[in-house]
Amino acid sequence: MKIGFILKMAVLYVWRSRRSTLVLGLMIIMAVAALVFLSSLAVGTNDAMIRNSVGLFSGHIVADNLPPDLDPAQLQRPGVREVLWRTRRPVRLRHQERVESVLLCEVRPSEEKAATALWKKTVSGRYLRDGRPELFLSGAVADLLHVSVGQTVEVEIPPGPQRVALSICGIYRTGISSLDYGIAFAAQNALPAAESNFSAAVFIEEGTDPQTLLAEYRRLPYASRFTAWMDFMPDLKQLVELNFVSMSIVMVLVFAVVALGISCAFIIFILKNIREHGILKAMGMLPSESVLLIVAEVTLLTLAASATGTGAGALAVGALARTGLDLTALTSHNQYFAVSGVIFPRLTPYSLWLPPALSLLFGLLAAVWPALYVVREKAAEILRSI
Amino acid sequence: MIEVQALYKSFTSGRGKVTALEGLSFKVAKGENFIVAGKSGSGKTTLLNCIGGLETPDRGAIRCGGVDIHRLSRKALARFQREQVGFVFQQGNLLSYLTVSENLALPLALNGIDADDRKRRVRELLETIGLPDHGAALPWELSGGETQRVAFARAIAHAPAILLADEPTASLDSATGAQLVQLMVSLSRQRRCTLLVASHDPEVIRTADHQLLLKDGRKES
Repeated sequence: MKIGFILKMAVLYVWRSRRSTLVLGLMIIMAVAALVFLSSLAVGTNDAMIRNSVGLFSGHIVADNLPPDLDPAQLQRPGVREVLWRTRRPVRLRHQERVESVLLCEVRPSEEKAATALWKKTVSGRYLRDGRPELFLSGAVADLLHVSVGQTVEVEIPPGPQRVALSICGIYRTGISSLDYGIAFAAQNALPAAESNFSAAVFIEEGTDPQTLLAEYRRLPYASRFTAWMDFMPDLKQLVELNFVSMSIVMVLVFAVVALGISCAFIIFILKNIREHGILKAMGMLPSESVLLIVAEVTLLTLAASATGTGAGALAVGALARTGLDLTALTSHNQYFAVSGVIFPRLTPYSLWLPPALSLLFGLLAAVWPALYVVREKAAEILRSI
Repeated sequence: MIEVQALYKSFTSGRGKVTALEGLSFKVAKGENFIVAGKSGSGKTTLLNCIGGLETPDRGAIRCGGVDIHRLSRKALARFQREQVGFVFQQGNLLSYLTVSENLALPLALNGIDADDRKRRVRELLETIGLPDHGAALPWELSGGETQRVAFARAIAHAPAILLADEPTASLDSATGAQLVQLMVSLSRQRRCTLLVASHDPEVIRTADHQLLLKDGRKES
């Protein structure tokens, strides 16, 4: 018997078993669509945590010890959204008798405001302005110095030390200790120019691999140190991995339950037709042809339903990717969602191929027993069993 | 043409061991219209199933054209069934998801006949059984008589040497049954096909060249 005729029979069986095909198809469509959506949501959650953590201030890649004459544009690469030029130097802040040692980070306020979200965490006053002799302090440092917005703090810059008076323009709180303790911000040009400790924060587009970019940067002929967020935020890296693993476990568990339903439904779908397989066997259909027919029926239905399910899942992801899923109420006190609690689900090749592949696998596994039954039993036994 | 020798077949069921055929031996000549008669449960269906290769006997031999069909490999037996045998089941047993034309094309496709030839032969068969306009109908749209006519046409579509019919008139009224029997006998004679019919219908038995009367799996003399 020609394969084309067997495929035609499989198509006719799937097409003309309308109710069974519809019910089983809907099961697969819903399962696949749910899994595509869930896996995209997991990716979106990880994206949101990374975006929040690096977007607050640090950037995806930090370059330290850069040459003072380096143009930040030289760090531009495809996939790089922004390069922010910064200097860091240890200073002492003095207000009356109170002294606090901090790392003073000098920034270009207008560029920082456009690319980072630290300014959004202002709780009092406002963010820095270009060239102004101002200081942007964390609430914790302001408390230690007993200062508030509008007061002046003396900045002692070693060696020397040189002393510069800066007024406090704003106070912020992030809930992240590395930004709340031991650090202060000032605009570049508000202080005597630094001679060393030039650094840059590189912000990359979503979907760009930081490790690839890092490898490129490390080939540059500077004695600089380039570090990706995974290295300077190992806690976030672990959390992302943990999220991936736990989501994968959830997906496997969900799919195991769904797959059991799909497998049972497939067995019923094939057994419903078992009399027909007995007739075909009585007519001289070879065991291999019977197996091919069953496999073709399962594959056709699974492929059609999986494609629809993947499309439906992708549509749902696409719709939600525009507006995002606002979970601010659940994330407002979480440091990894310090900027925004909105999650934008994102499709990946993994989330697109895994659910259909799993449904095809479980469908074919479900077909094994009926296929073996048809192959092993005599035609009369199959016809008698119905 | 068909030689059945010392055939035994028993089944184990909830009622214990049931002997369906007990040492049955007979011969059917080529082109003969041979009726296996007997009451329900006498072993008619089991005998036809064994001859058609649908069932394996416990002991004994069935030779068709000198070949013991139950000594054939699974593949060779399938080839024998698709090439040499046509089977008309009691309930027609048309494939529910195929149209009448597709059902008729099935044995032709199994025998590797190309699509154009299949179409032509299906048209001829539909004409022969008097259902030229029923090609696109699905089995559930047919009456009992039409179903059995299509089942018969499917059984002879590939011009088999042996045509087995298990109680073909059992689900039909007497007039429709008589029409079907007439069609079966005339067409099988015309095609020089050996016809073996299991039936307890006197209308069918009357057409027989030879008959075998079964009782409790044995030949009743």
